[in-house]
Amino acid sequence: MNKKSLSIFLFTLVVSTSLVLSGCGTAAPNTPNPTAAKKDTISIAIPSEPSTMDVQFADDGNMRAVADNVTESLMTLDGKTMKVIPELATEISRIDNTTWDVKLRPDVTFQNGNPFTADDVVYSIKRIIDPNFKSNIAGFFATFKDAQKVGDLEVHIITSGPDPSMPTRLTMLNILNQKEMIATPDKIKTAISGTGPYKIASWAKGQSIVLERNDNYWGPKPSIKTVKYRFIEEDATRAAALKNGEIDFATNMLPEYVSTLPQVQTAEGLEFSLIRMNAVSGVMKDQKIRQAASYAINWDAISKSLYSGYASIAPGQVFKPSYIGFNKNLKAYPFDLAKAKQLLAESGYKGETITFVGEQGRWLKDGEQEQAIAQMLRDAGFKVDVKILAFSQWLGVLFPQDPTTTPPDMIFTFHSNDIYDADRSYSTYVLTTGSASSYPKTLDAQIIAARTELDTVKRQQMYEAIGQTLYDNPAWINGINIKDIDGMGKDVVYQPREDMKLMVSEMSFK
Amino acid sequence: MATYILKTLLKALVVVLGVSLLVFVLTRSIGNPVNIMLPLGASMAERANLTHQLGLDKSVLAQLWDFASGVVRGNFGESWWQQESAMTVALRPLPFTLELSGIALVISLVFAIPLGILSALKPRSLLDKLTSTSSMFGICVPNFWLGLMLILIFSNLLHWFPTSGTGGWRYWVLPSVTLAVLPLGRITQIVRTAMLEQLRELYVVTARSKGLPEFWVVTRHALKNAGIQIVTMSGWELGRMIAGYAIAIESVFGLPGIGSLIVDAIGQQDYPLIQAITFVIAICIVVLNILIDLSYPLFNPRIKFK
Repeated sequence: MNKKSLSIFLFTLVVSTSLVLSGCGTAAPNTPNPTAAKKDTISIAIPSEPSTMDVQFADDGNMRAVADNVTESLMTLDGKTMKVIPELATEISRIDNTTWDVKLRPDVTFQNGNPFTADDVVYSIKRIIDPNFKSNIAGFFATFKDAQKVGDLEVHIITSGPDPSMPTRLTMLNILNQKEMIATPDKIKTAISGTGPYKIASWAKGQSIVLERNDNYWGPKPSIKTVKYRFIEEDATRAAALKNGEIDFATNMLPEYVSTLPQVQTAEGLEFSLIRMNAVSGVMKDQKIRQAASYAINWDAISKSLYSGYASIAPGQVFKPSYIGFNKNLKAYPFDLAKAKQLLAESGYKGETITFVGEQGRWLKDGEQEQAIAQMLRDAGFKVDVKILAFSQWLGVLFPQDPTTTPPDMIFTFHSNDIYDADRSYSTYVLTTGSASSYPKTLDAQIIAARTELDTVKRQQMYEAIGQTLYDNPAWINGINIKDIDGMGKDVVYQPREDMKLMVSEMSFK
Repeated sequence: MATYILKTLLKALVVVLGVSLLVFVLTRSIGNPVNIMLPLGASMAERANLTHQLGLDKSVLAQLWDFASGVVRGNFGESWWQQESAMTVALRPLPFTLELSGIALVISLVFAIPLGILSALKPRSLLDKLTSTSSMFGICVPNFWLGLMLILIFSNLLHWFPTSGTGGWRYWVLPSVTLAVLPLGRITQIVRTAMLEQLRELYVVTARSKGLPEFWVVTRHALKNAGIQIVTMSGWELGRMIAGYAIAIESVFGLPGIGSLIVDAIGQQDYPLIQAITFVIAICIVVLNILIDLSYPLFNPRIKFK
């Protein structure tokens, strides 16, 4: 063979390999065939694989996307109104300041066949508050002291002090089967037996989790029989898989993809952005300056330009109407640059530099939002120095280890209220002993009183009063609530919930 | 031979220990993982409590001592995020990444070697220029972006391949091709350079003047002598795939490999798991380098190990 033949040979080798590789692709890949019969299997893509199935241990949203369909709690939230309603409990009443009586639902069985009784409830409560168990969410149950079995279907829950939020806290406490947990304590890491509408059929680590409908479920029978969860980290890939029909449902879609997806449904998210201001020391101590800052931000523009309109403006408070303590008389501060400048002038602001601390990457377009806010403040006449820190450092500034450190003039965060109760926000950000507070003592007494007020009407009024005070003398600038966007196939029927729970029992195919 | 083995193992030990130490110190300087594990609104007391439970309130040296004494006994601790032995979690996805990287390497070699040889046979020709340009493209293009582009074209538009996940052979095509592009570029260049060197040597003239078929001159003689450089670069690229490029590819295509795992582990600041994964990858690279060294006598019988 001479040089020429060699060249031809090698060239042919390269070309034919390419052809073979591409030629193999022309047959249709595994796209699901639309059949005449109604589909009963749904394929859902979530961003990441759950770390464990131990719903009492971790604070893991990916785990919840699966486990919320398998386990249940004594109380739950109504999907539309977000009010606390009974689930495994049928009746809940207060006997005295620190004792609650809970009557349990009869004729409920776990997916492993064991009946649901008071023993399971007592076990579940004791486990989650056990300091040796080291649950990452034990903080939500800090007021729980003990649980006692009173009858086969009745328990008493004892709190360490008056706790009006106790029923709401129960919505986060999943009930485990005592018999199974004692016999096989490690099983919960990969397969949990709950009382819910779906049971775990298999978990192929790294690949998928499959749920099957629980035909012994005590509640209404869900229409979908099988659920397959896949884990696709990259947003663009998740959207591509949905567009291709490889999956039926994709969570956490970005606003930019909305126009390309077959169907999109949104819900008001759980998180509000806010800019906490130092009302105790420094430049921002002056009430007029804090009000000026509140008038200076054009939240509508931020919502439209950064989130394609998929963000709603906080109504003068970082609460949704369903939260306990929501004040319906408050409205968002209007965007009024003239008023901001006027207030700033009246306050005697001499152009001192304001430090604005932020982080980047934890929430959608947080960095961009921070820069936009800083620029709007500058337009109003503030001199702003933006400091973007790494997440861990930023967290250390927001929640300082040493409570005597001087808080920054302004710090950006997203706030999520897990128990739908005003106390969570006020106790953290306003109460002087809160973990992230830079506000004077003026509201301390009211917050503590409201926290332990057991009369629900009185409690609501107390929070509304606090809310009004904070509106006039702000501890933070109220921001926006980014909508939760779910992508789904054209044949899927589902309205995302405002508590961000993914309930397959509420899904169906057309 | 025995001294060679001893020296190699010693060097390997230094590398693995050095990498582990570096990662240990770095992870503990980026912040407190407790802040990620607990809900954002957790109280100071809760944070202090968890910090103490995880042993993070001890000095870095004390933590290092705890870690080292565990490792010596083969115990890498328990993953904070997954509550399972860190080494078990780290080893589980390794076979997948090795398989993916292996396939990508084979794809690169299948194209790189012929193209490199052809370019060397006809330097400065059109083919040579095209090869040089496309190999440069392969090296420069961000593989992350390339992956997304291939999904867009071959998955969404043409429906030839699925977008992500695992399954039959179709699921392997896009990820392994994306992963192969960069090594393909680099190996093509090294083949070309090495072959140009060899083809200038006198023995090639001798072989041709003997009447030896060109095919044998090029492959059995020139290519074999260029072998050491090519194998070294290929091995190096394989190592970089396992320890680096696979991370982006596995994230883009939603694949269950060790790259995906380390992304999650870093996000969760799961120190035991990060340490275990780093250790595993370091061992892989060291073993790979030893295998490359051991292959040299196949190309040059004069090489001896001492």
